[in-house]
Amino acid sequence: MSVLFYIGALLIVIGALCDFFGALGLLRFPNFYVRLHAATVGIIGGAAVPLFGVALLALGADFLPNRYAIAGASFITGVIVLLASPAGSHALAYAAHRAKLVEWEPKVDHLGEVRGSD
Amino acid sequence: MRGKGLITAVIILTFAALMTYAVVSLQVFGEGTGVRPLGEFYLKNSYFGDYSARSPEVVTSILWDYRGIDTLFETAVFFLAIIGSLTVFRLTREQEKEVKKVESAPTELTPIVKDVTKVIVVMILAVSASIALHGHLTPGGGFQGGSALAVAPLLIIAAYSKYTLEGHGMDKTRALILRSIGLLGIALVALVPLLSDGFIMQNQPIFPAEIGGQLIGGSLIYYNFFEFLAVGAGFTAVFLLLSIPEEKFKKILGVKK
Repeated sequence: MSVLFYIGALLIVIGALCDFFGALGLLRFPNFYVRLHAATVGIIGGAAVPLFGVALLALGADFLPNRYAIAGASFITGVIVLLASPAGSHALAYAAHRAKLVEWEPKVDHLGEVRGSD
Repeated sequence: MRGKGLITAVIILTFAALMTYAVVSLQVFGEGTGVRPLGEFYLKNSYFGDYSARSPEVVTSILWDYRGIDTLFETAVFFLAIIGSLTVFRLTREQEKEVKKVESAPTELTPIVKDVTKVIVVMILAVSASIALHGHLTPGGGFQGGSALAVAPLLIIAAYSKYTLEGHGMDKTRALILRSIGLLGIALVALVPLLSDGFIMQNQPIFPAEIGGQLIGGSLIYYNFFEFLAVGAGFTAVFLLLSIPEEKFKKILGVKK
């Protein structure tokens, strides 16, 4: 068992934990924006990180046929998720804020202060 | 609420118990069963042998060889569905121009979304082409690749606007031309074996299994490529139609407010 195997397995375990906490947050958090944060934890931590883990695991497994193809595909998919997910959640939050669909009571609003709250 | 949770818990526990029972006593995932006779037949006739497609991806091979006519008609069903939606939204030449005209500056999403979309669209094009063109070697194929391809224009419509897509040359007419090229290609590849005394949609030995040492699976790669074009462009045409603003249609139809 190589070092790559252990690092990859560790990343997959981290992914499982992130998925668990993401699901928990999605059920328990009080409003839309915080729940969106929990969902993003589930995607980045629970999908992108384990995909990188799978890539490392495949690279470390000498017995696996086509391991470079598996590692490459996992890595590319991880990069795509890593790019698309923050943009997606940003678009969701932006749309919800713009359409004023979600009631929000900010504790701190620096942007509003700078602009001169109206 | 409490009763609902109880029912869910009972269902989940029953399912888990059944699965455990199946795995432990019935040996659903038992070992040593080996390849079954039917699987052996398909492997022999799609991967090994002189008259096979030499395609390691047996599913694609079965789809386009053993039940090729079936897949041809599946593609025809998709073609008819697209034709149906185009007919529902049919417009005259002037109305087409009206629909393409930008009246007010269209609302676009934030620079973050737009920049990420630019990168992602290029990646989607590459990945979908890889899914379709490796369809005879790895899981995937023309339809799957085409569906992935259609996500790219959809993202552009969402992040920028329908007019941006049309301004860059991907309008409905071009999408329809591409789709027709794809369908024509599939039909021609299906008919080619008739010219050299083969059966319709026959794969080997009319189409070479290898070109320059590269496995191409006989006719599979051509079918996959044309299906990729047909499905991707067909979906794009429908997305373009669906993204026409409601106001324009109301104007065209003369609906009074």
